[in-house]
Amino acid sequence: MKEIKAQEVFLEAGYQISPKAVEMITSHSAPNDLISYILENVDESLFVIEAEHINIESFEKEYPDLPKECLDEVPCSNDTSTSQVSPVPSTRSPARSSISSTPSPTSSSATLRDERCFSDSNGQVNNINIMSDITDMSTCVGEYMEFVQYFRNRYTKLSNIIRGRVTARPIESLNKNRKQSSGIRRGGGGDYNETSIIGMVSEIRTTANGHKMLQLEDPTGSFPVLVHQAEKDLFEEASKLVLDEVIGITGSMTNDGSLLIAKKLVLPDLPNISNRREGTWGKAVFTSDIHVGSSTFLEEEWCGFLDFLNGKTDNEQLKKMSEEIRFLVVAGDLVDGIGIFPGQEHELDILDIYDQYRKAAEYFDQVPEHIKIIISPGNHDAVRQAEPQPRFPERITSLFSDRITFVGNPALVDLDGVKVLMYHGRSIDDLVASVPGVSYQEPEKAMVEMIKRRHLSPIYGSRVSIAPEKQDHFVIDPIPDILHCGHVHTVGIGNYKSVLLINSGTWQSQTEFQKRVNLMPTPAKVPVVDLSTLRTTLLQF
Amino acid sequence: MAEIVASDEMHEYFNTLEGTLKEEIDIVNDARSRGKDPKPHVEIPLAKDLADRVENLIGVKGVAELIRKLEETKSREEAALALGREVAQGKVGEFDSKSEAIEAAIRVSVAMLTEGVVAAPIEGIDRASIGKNDDGSEYVSIFYAGPIRSAGGTAQALSVLVGDYVRRGVGIDRYKPRKEEVERYIEEIMLYKRVASLQYTPSEEEIRLIVENCPICIDGEPTEAEEVEGHRNLERINTNRVRGGMALVLAEGLALKAPKIQKHVKNLKIDGWEWLEQLISGVKSSSESGEDEETDGKPKIKPKDKYMRDLIAGRPVFSHPSRPGGFRLRYGRSRNTSFAAAGISPAGMIVMDDFIAPGTQLKVERPGKAAGMAPVDSIEGPTVRLNNGDVIRIDTIEEAYALRSEVEEIIDIGEILINYGDFLENNHPLAPSPYCFEWWIQEYRKAAPDAETNEAELKEPTQEVALDLCKELNIPLHPKFTYLWHDIDNSQYTALADLISEDGLLEADGSFLKLPLQRTIDTGMKKVLEDLLVQHKVEGPTIIIEEPLPFIYSLGLDKRLSKGWDSLEHEELLENINEIAGFVVRPRAPTRIGARMGRPEKSDKRKMTPAPHALFPIAEAGGNTRSLEKAANFKVNTNSKTGMIPVEIGNRICPACGVEGFEFRCDCGEYTLPKLFCPRCGISVNKAKCPKCDSKTTCTSMRKIDFKSIYQKAYANIGERDHLDSFKGVKKMMSKHMTPEPLEKGILRAKHDLFTFKDGTVRYDMSDIPLTHIRPSEIGVSCERMIELGYLKDIYGKPLTDSEQVLCLKVQDLVISYDAADYILRITQYIDDLLVKYYKVAPYYNTKHIDDIVGVLLMGLAPHTSAGVLGRLLGFTTASVGYAHPYFHAAKRRNCDGDEDCVMLLMDGLLNFSRDYLPDKRGGQMDAPLVLTTRLDPSEVDKEAHNIDMCASYPLEFYEATQNIANPKDFENTMDLVSGRLGTTLQYEEFMFTHDTSNIAAGPLKSAYKTLGTMVEKMDAQLELAKKIRAVDAPDVAERVLTSHFLPDMFGNLRAFSRQGTRCVKCAAKFRRPPLTGSCPKCGGRVILTVHEGSVKKYLQVSIKVAEEYNVSSYTKQRIELIGYDMKSLFENDKSKQMGLSDFM
Repeated sequence: MKEIKAQEVFLEAGYQISPKAVEMITSHSAPNDLISYILENVDESLFVIEAEHINIESFEKEYPDLPKECLDEVPCSNDTSTSQVSPVPSTRSPARSSISSTPSPTSSSATLRDERCFSDSNGQVNNINIMSDITDMSTCVGEYMEFVQYFRNRYTKLSNIIRGRVTARPIESLNKNRKQSSGIRRGGGGDYNETSIIGMVSEIRTTANGHKMLQLEDPTGSFPVLVHQAEKDLFEEASKLVLDEVIGITGSMTNDGSLLIAKKLVLPDLPNISNRREGTWGKAVFTSDIHVGSSTFLEEEWCGFLDFLNGKTDNEQLKKMSEEIRFLVVAGDLVDGIGIFPGQEHELDILDIYDQYRKAAEYFDQVPEHIKIIISPGNHDAVRQAEPQPRFPERITSLFSDRITFVGNPALVDLDGVKVLMYHGRSIDDLVASVPGVSYQEPEKAMVEMIKRRHLSPIYGSRVSIAPEKQDHFVIDPIPDILHCGHVHTVGIGNYKSVLLINSGTWQSQTEFQKRVNLMPTPAKVPVVDLSTLRTTLLQF
Repeated sequence: MAEIVASDEMHEYFNTLEGTLKEEIDIVNDARSRGKDPKPHVEIPLAKDLADRVENLIGVKGVAELIRKLEETKSREEAALALGREVAQGKVGEFDSKSEAIEAAIRVSVAMLTEGVVAAPIEGIDRASIGKNDDGSEYVSIFYAGPIRSAGGTAQALSVLVGDYVRRGVGIDRYKPRKEEVERYIEEIMLYKRVASLQYTPSEEEIRLIVENCPICIDGEPTEAEEVEGHRNLERINTNRVRGGMALVLAEGLALKAPKIQKHVKNLKIDGWEWLEQLISGVKSSSESGEDEETDGKPKIKPKDKYMRDLIAGRPVFSHPSRPGGFRLRYGRSRNTSFAAAGISPAGMIVMDDFIAPGTQLKVERPGKAAGMAPVDSIEGPTVRLNNGDVIRIDTIEEAYALRSEVEEIIDIGEILINYGDFLENNHPLAPSPYCFEWWIQEYRKAAPDAETNEAELKEPTQEVALDLCKELNIPLHPKFTYLWHDIDNSQYTALADLISEDGLLEADGSFLKLPLQRTIDTGMKKVLEDLLVQHKVEGPTIIIEEPLPFIYSLGLDKRLSKGWDSLEHEELLENINEIAGFVVRPRAPTRIGARMGRPEKSDKRKMTPAPHALFPIAEAGGNTRSLEKAANFKVNTNSKTGMIPVEIGNRICPACGVEGFEFRCDCGEYTLPKLFCPRCGISVNKAKCPKCDSKTTCTSMRKIDFKSIYQKAYANIGERDHLDSFKGVKKMMSKHMTPEPLEKGILRAKHDLFTFKDGTVRYDMSDIPLTHIRPSEIGVSCERMIELGYLKDIYGKPLTDSEQVLCLKVQDLVISYDAADYILRITQYIDDLLVKYYKVAPYYNTKHIDDIVGVLLMGLAPHTSAGVLGRLLGFTTASVGYAHPYFHAAKRRNCDGDEDCVMLLMDGLLNFSRDYLPDKRGGQMDAPLVLTTRLDPSEVDKEAHNIDMCASYPLEFYEATQNIANPKDFENTMDLVSGRLGTTLQYEEFMFTHDTSNIAAGPLKSAYKTLGTMVEKMDAQLELAKKIRAVDAPDVAERVLTSHFLPDMFGNLRAFSRQGTRCVKCAAKFRRPPLTGSCPKCGGRVILTVHEGSVKKYLQVSIKVAEEYNVSSYTKQRIELIGYDMKSLFENDKSKQMGLSDFM
């Protein structure tokens, strides 16, 4: 393949490409496939494709010997019709080597605490591997320095991600310049003023003239950044910023050195080309917000769902699908709880919290043995309200059968090679309130915002209660294959840069509260994910 | 103005007050012209009538005259509407734009509707503006702010009608809401209800009806931090936050007062309000159950438990709703009750562990929501069972103190005196009256019109007399011997009659009845005797009932205790008794009124926190205590000059000599002007707006001032030595121009240990309680002095000679607590010091002892209002309340349901008040004497006062009508009400009362709520009392306190902990989240948390204990359990737990 041709292809697609990158492509054994692959995966915000943007290793790993048409079979999230039931898993053997190949988590709490092997009826093994979870690791006692450490840890983790893309200086150094007499600094070269910083957003406001004024903070100091209204794209990006997220800014200093005028904004977003997941065989079912005990719990629909899991269905396709299910993942709000909101006692069928869990346990006992169940808590559950929440305590887990794996919230779980990040989703409330264009009707958009920020719950001090732990458990690292949330009671399925986003809806019809604030839930819908293709099917009960 | 109708004596009284007022104003004008006050004259304009007040308050010239003209022919409300229209059409005042005219029109109308007293028209209406409908037409929106609350529902609702009325006048179309806007209102009002609570919450349908049809757009400023979740970012609604003013006007105004609006709409024949009809008929069907509506045609008073909501620890319940043993309603008015204040026996106050003191607020079941408490000893006190088994009624304070420690159970908490007027004001159906002496005596007189009536003897007749009267005159049994038969049933009655018949032993002369104790207890009849309130003593194995004959006859027994009946025919026991007994027995306590404690009484100096002596800004230089002495010795750093402090202060310039400074008056004698500049362009401009960039100019900036020399000069100027214990300033002036007051005033205040309020005045707060009559002896003033003050005759027209004579209180005279008197005394001494040392004129008061301050002029002023009322100090009381004529309270727009407000020394207000000190923010004009009402015209006070009855007795028909739960309106014309006296000389004189009280200060000095220490102690005392009172269900109280106080507190604090902001201990800067640097980015100081573990956990242990002890519901128990686990998980380290540390704890 000629270099000119490669350049043309990229120009047509709207990208510049560096000579070195062209060289890399042309020197590869399958340049056409590589070009397609790059264009598939490239970050659209990029202007110039550099050599570093081309990940030949991952390309080769992903498509070593697949026929060409497979390239079209990128997991498609929008394909959620109930009628479409995916075929039986291929004859490929399950990827048993997945445990060793998972990147080891950075946080100290993420040691491989729990490694169980289950055998289902066919003698196949369902590996569940908890990679990150706060349970039994909570060290907070509620002191001021813990809060500081918590945010510093967030800054460290997220700024490290950004630092690979921006050469930033500590904020302290800007303040030093500011104190010097302002006139002297001027007169240097053109680039003299170009400065980058990485900071946590501590204040966002709109000036009288409609510009955005940010206050960025790092462990050395704090500095104001102005985003000009005239810079349309940048301003658009900046208007989506939320408090307490960590971003990089490149810009120029004003004359007196008191303000940084932003030119470029860098989020700790996912890399443009990431490793394609290994995948495994079989299916996983995702659900949440069951609210057992509430008078609005949809018991009939829920039992229909249990029947489906047991293969009790006339629909052959569904029956077949149910047989392939290996995992049932529940992201919080198992029960409605007690005392969660004022006057809740009037909206409950079961007033005793333990009776609520007993009832829930009865339901889960009906799930067939070959399906492994993973449950994390939510804000209605009987664990501490402050996040990260540990898994249910012994007095509750003992009500359930041993085969259920209980994890905290959030938790990163490896399902036989597919990494699932479970988070109940309290922060979606905050994101809906803060980020334009994010709504309760499309919760997957809020989840995109989480991934872009590499943080599950950036905004502090609003609706999410936090426990000041040493580690910020909300930082999204490593990158999961699936991000699973609930909480908002609306189903949403999306895809962002190879991460499958699932908000799994609810089993509760519209509550009094939701009526008041005009929220329409989408109950009794269950996303079923094919673990080999990450293709999602949405079932309605 | 039209002269007030009053007798010569009253005219003389008013003239005396006004004469003294004028004298004081002259002195002050002279003094102020010598000092460095903002203005060389008094800054409180006088208003003789409503018209003056409205004009002074709103500042539209010519309005007063127009009001007087309109009032000649129209009612107050009609006149207000007409006034609005005339202003909008530009007949008075001058305005730049349509919307400005509309705004002013609405303001004057609301001001007129609220008697020109409250701050609502200036603070509660932010602005009116004109918007565009989707069809291109224009509409008017009114922006309401929080202080609109002070206008009250009717005026709030009428303001909307005014808006509609004036928009038609100027030809603007109606508001046509979009669908999403309607839904936004619904969500927002429901949310407001959750965060701030509403008196009345309209249903969704009602809100929809109102918004879709209301011709004015009810908009508002955001008042709450909460944001709506659903209907956000609407084009025509500027905020996502909750607009409190809007919610109030819509819910408590339009929805609740729809009938009143409709009346005016009909009178004025305005179209477009037909939907009110639908609202009114709809409101009824959806109104909450528990109201006293008719069921099946038969009216009935149903228990209401609304007052029990939101129970707080330490504020006990005295009676569950309408429960036997609770307060027994008695109709009547004592000289210190009415106007939402009720009377109870002072003995009851003491027996109920001192929780009620004079002035304590009680939340009551009916007729209103709350009532201030006043001691009335002519009504019955509580009935108790002592440890030895005796059951007695305690009517006197002495008995109460002597027996309190022996009380085992409070079987009945006694009577509560409520006047007819309060039922009328609340439009509450008249609950059945008990059979009481006032009723009985009228039946007696009717039956024996010629008989000699010795009231004292008839009040306490012997059993023989009582029975004879029944027989001879065929009148019902005297209330003294009428027991609470309606509280027991037929079977209990039968069992009691059988027991007495079989085991009773009647003394031959019938003077007492003996019963065997053990058997009476075993058969359960002791309890029945107690429930009937039959007083008895236990002597050894015997129960002794004195004067038992009426009781025995009521049981259908004869003198030989043989039963003259076999079976009971009627279901109602009283019907049976009336057949069996041979005389009529009336229900003794058909109406019980539930009550719990509201807020405690108050009598304390007004202090801001921290409390300053001088309005002088010193920023951080004075440290956290704002010490001025510290500021004078402050050094920015070691090399800088002592006392040079950086503060934000206004810059002023002298127009004569051009010298710049910060004082109101230049040393050359000329008054200075604020030196304005544009903070944006930096240019100096002498206008309110910058001509270059149109932004607001200011004269304030951060400057360094030589405070030490100011400080020393001030001391030297008044010849005082610098040895004050404490002398505090403020951190920053809140006023627009940030000009401080002369420091000398602060020095003298500190010298006399007085604190200043935001406007430069010294104030004292007291709970409002009404008072219409006094005895010189009880207010600590001699007869001679009373005569000097114009009290010549008692209520019977006899000349005043004895200090026990009862006198009618003059309407602007006040009786204040001794503590208040002490404070006022110090204020007079401070004023004298100020006159002599600062203004260099002669002293005025020359007071040494509190006797010297009798007769000084005061000013009363209520929160949320802006008009002071002239008053005169008449005497003192040991109760912690401010006693004044109900007119006086009404003139401040206060009733006496437990509210408090302040008095200040008039001269202090005249001398030291200035608008220039008032905060430049929303609500800053509230609670400041912007005008002074000098003469109290009952027609121009809050209308509520017109419903006070002033008669010596209620007619027989009244008592009879209450048995059928009559409408109070039926007696509006029969009763001697204030409304009937308006416009005659009787509006000020010849008031009477139905029940006397011997001492207006009887009872505990302070509520136990205030003397008990921690919340846990208060809670314990509250539950102890709950266990003692029969009408209170202690476990229910425990549960309610847990669910409405402790659990929300713990839950809230736990949430707050995990979302908390932080604070710098050094500079008090606040941060939403802890700074990453760890220390304060502003000053490098140490940063700390604002919510601590301790405050989160403080109620956990006591909650667990109370839940166990009172066996509350398992739901509540589990909630406590879970929140305990939650705290444990948050505050305990899992790792250290593994090491076993928790085992040691």
